[in-house]
Amino acid sequence: MRDKRSNPFCMIVAVLIMLFLVAPLVVIVIASFTPTALITFPPKGFSLEWYGNIFSKSNNFVSGLLNSLKIGLGATVLDIFIGVTAALSICRYDFKGKNILLNYFTSPMYVPSVCFAFVLLQVYSQVGRVPGWARIFIGHFIIILPYIVRNTVSVLHVFNWTLEDAATSLGANPVQVFFKVTIPLAKPGILAGALLAFLYSFDEVALSSLLSTPRFVTLPIRIMNYMEMSFDPTLAAISTLLILCSLILMLLMEKFVGLDMFMR
Amino acid sequence: MASLELKQLTKKFGDFTAVDSMDLQVADGEMIALLGGSGCGKTTTLRMIAGFTEPFSGSILVDGKDVAGIPAYKRNIGIFFQNYALFPHMTVFENIAFGLKIQKLPKAEIAERVSEMLELVKLYGMEKRYPRELSGGQQQRVALARALVTRPSILLLDEPLSNLDAKLRVEMQVEIKRIQKELNITTIIVTHDHEEAVSLADRVIVMNAGRILQVGTPKEVFDDPNSAFVADFMGFSTFIKGSVKLELPDRLIVECSGHDLSVKRSVRDDLREGDNCILAIRSENIAIVPEDNMENRFVSGSNEIYAQENIVKGRVESITYKGHSTRVEVSGCFEENVYPAPNDYTGPGAGGELRLYFPSDKLCIYKN
Ligand SMILES: Nc1ncnc2c1ncn2[C@@H]1O[C@H](COP(=O)(O)OP(=O)(O)OP(=O)(O)O)[C@@H](O)[C@H]1O
Ligand SMILES: [Mg+2]
Repeated sequence: MRDKRSNPFCMIVAVLIMLFLVAPLVVIVIASFTPTALITFPPKGFSLEWYGNIFSKSNNFVSGLLNSLKIGLGATVLDIFIGVTAALSICRYDFKGKNILLNYFTSPMYVPSVCFAFVLLQVYSQVGRVPGWARIFIGHFIIILPYIVRNTVSVLHVFNWTLEDAATSLGANPVQVFFKVTIPLAKPGILAGALLAFLYSFDEVALSSLLSTPRFVTLPIRIMNYMEMSFDPTLAAISTLLILCSLILMLLMEKFVGLDMFMR
Repeated sequence: MASLELKQLTKKFGDFTAVDSMDLQVADGEMIALLGGSGCGKTTTLRMIAGFTEPFSGSILVDGKDVAGIPAYKRNIGIFFQNYALFPHMTVFENIAFGLKIQKLPKAEIAERVSEMLELVKLYGMEKRYPRELSGGQQQRVALARALVTRPSILLLDEPLSNLDAKLRVEMQVEIKRIQKELNITTIIVTHDHEEAVSLADRVIVMNAGRILQVGTPKEVFDDPNSAFVADFMGFSTFIKGSVKLELPDRLIVECSGHDLSVKRSVRDDLREGDNCILAIRSENIAIVPEDNMENRFVSGSNEIYAQENIVKGRVESITYKGHSTRVEVSGCFEENVYPAPNDYTGPGAGGELRLYFPSDKLCIYKN
């Protein structure tokens, strides 16, 4: 803080904005503990019934969560390899068309996911017999790549390549240089990109709903389907759990990389 | 611990030639200072020797063997980078220890050698800091320690002392020189400071636009530059245009704006009568002749001078106190102003007249 004095008007506006952001979340969290079958606010009593309901087998939330995690983690890990390699070759070498290549790698970000899903559906029907998980995995794998490429490039763009020379002159071979200098310094960008990519995959709805088969459903799709059938506080309970997970993830990220990586 | 030879070394960036057919031999354990203006190709030369960029043509020999096929990490060449290139994610200790850890030395030995280095660069107690927590001069010394600690056979220093205060700089010069001699490391040091070059190096190289202009001992280059450009670079301040009027066996008589100056011939000059030339002289070598002394017998520095010639009258334009000397700007001697710099100036103030003596053996002459 530059100055201790603060303008009361600014303070009020700031507090209001924060309330506006947080209030709906608070409502959901509190509502998740309602004992009644209809969401009421403030709740009349306290119950963990709806939390139990999440884990009941017939609702398939748990299997949806596992599917989402498999897709999200798998696609993110694979994309880290591809995205970091792409970012490195774009930033390290000087060649014609490097900007075109960068735009190429980030283009899935700009294509509406509905169009993209339409194209993929065409391809799948041509190929035939694509398993349910693969239908979603391929889609997610492609649309989250830009987040990793962009965040890694943003770090490598200002990377001091002489550092690699310095390590080399001290006897480090190219593999050692990569793991002891390049990767540690690019890590904040890679992790930030990976987190954004994972979160994108985790709550992706549009593409998944078009590509999914009844036998392989991700959590957001499952929640959407549930919502169409009933509107009980189970949804509030599951939202509360997801908010909690996001919070934990953010705290971990803050601890290991610093959130300022996301402000770029 | 290795000799180094550059043969017709050339580097091009597109059409631009950054280093042009450079030939150089550096003996085992020798210290060479590389001097030259900004952008003349010094860093590029070092980067080629270290193996970070491929030469366009020519070769680099270490101990007589061409190193073209040897990757940079196997060359055992220590390099101090102009921008330090400290690892930002490592502490001072880890930065200095990096090369030793790569060599897989035992922990105790690493700790010992790092602390030895920290002592040497006077950064003891700072080993836990990160580079961003150090001042520019401290970072520079960490980089120096990192380059020295692995005891490379060839050491390349790209302006290692540019960011230090005068006192620390002299101390570091002494330390660099001591280590270099102790471990007998063949060293090339780039510097912008001709006095640093002269005091540190066994030989001095002056470069311009990718070419070597002069190679010689510090004394040769300092006292007898082989061109007006080198003279300018080595701190000659006064340049006078003229033409050769008379050739004598041991000296030339040069006419400069109506005055005749006698100049000692050097082995180099091939000037003939009528040739245009440039005379160069260091400020401190121009003596001021006391006005009351019509015999022209006076003491300048520690020499008693009896001047019969090369005395020219001029007018004081300005006087600038420089600490160890006073810089006097004098007009009217020749077309160009001249700049004597006596230690202890007691002559007339601005607008006054004085007589200057240009010793014939201190005047360097170049073809124009
Ligand atoms: N990667 C590059 N691409 C194009 N030109 C370059 C490159 N590196 C250097 N140059 C050019 O080569 C010339 C020599 O550069 P170099 O860095 O060797 O200069 P220097 O003598 O070290 O200068 P300084 O004293 O300012 O450090 C400069 O004109 C520079 O612009
Ligand atoms: Mg340089």
